[in-house]
Amino acid sequence: MAEQQPTVELSVAADEVEAAVARTCAEWRLARAEVRVETRPDEGAPGQVRVRVMAARGAIVAAGDDDEDLARARQVLAELLARMGVAAEIHASRGEPDGGITPIVLDIQGLDLGELIGHKGETLAALQYIARLIVSKQAGRSVDLIVDVQGHKKRREEQLGRLAHRLAEQAVERQRVMSFEPMPANERRIIHLALRDYPGVQTESVGEGTHRKVTIIPHPR
Amino acid sequence: MKELVEYMAKALVDDAEQVSVTEVVTGPDIILELRVGAGDMGRVIGRQGRVVNAMRILVQMCAAREARRAQLEIVE
Repeated sequence: MAEQQPTVELSVAADEVEAAVARTCAEWRLARAEVRVETRPDEGAPGQVRVRVMAARGAIVAAGDDDEDLARARQVLAELLARMGVAAEIHASRGEPDGGITPIVLDIQGLDLGELIGHKGETLAALQYIARLIVSKQAGRSVDLIVDVQGHKKRREEQLGRLAHRLAEQAVERQRVMSFEPMPANERRIIHLALRDYPGVQTESVGEGTHRKVTIIPHPR
Repeated sequence: MKELVEYMAKALVDDAEQVSVTEVVTGPDIILELRVGAGDMGRVIGRQGRVVNAMRILVQMCAAREARRAQLEIVE
């Protein structure tokens, strides 16, 4: 059986249809592209139109105020993706707590989304930055927000963690400083954290700008 | 692309009324000229151009898909 998506039916003046749809979208915290609209003349009231607004499949309607930020973040990302011509579903959730804050995680799911990640994740980083700015501005305070594509960042994090342990092992064995390739700040951070409690080594970032990279320094035996 | 820039700029500034985007098309090249109120310049540029650079990356992704080149400029 098809899942029942929220629907609302209103009676408005013919020239106020779009305004009524916009109000419903705002209330549900959905982008305009995430609702379907059907209209028919209101037989009971001449000049009035019956408007049926239905949330699209997969769209999540904001349920009250219990997580206003989550719904708001989802809507902003949906508005951005719609204007970028990207058809995808957004799965919004709360991530793991990180230093007292629990970030919002928006995972974009769909087909052919490689272009959204971009070279070295630069497009995804730009999308996250803009989404975070807009959501924070709407909320009137800083909102921590992670935008991911098909769990790409999560997988990359796991991969970097494994690589970090392998290189740390070699650094200790060979008593030599091992370096990673240059990486953006968020990826360097993942490595520093992964090796924070690793015995016999310390990590340090060296180099400037886009050449900055993590090195693993073994403690002398 | 114009709609994307308009949405981002309006959502980031204090005075959305003063946001306008003009598209100048020359063959495959598109120049998007963004204008905002004087008090909102900092919001669309960002520290060391971080905001405008992020907007450029998103605009370029859209352009690349249509095999075009796009340039986003903030006009005073």
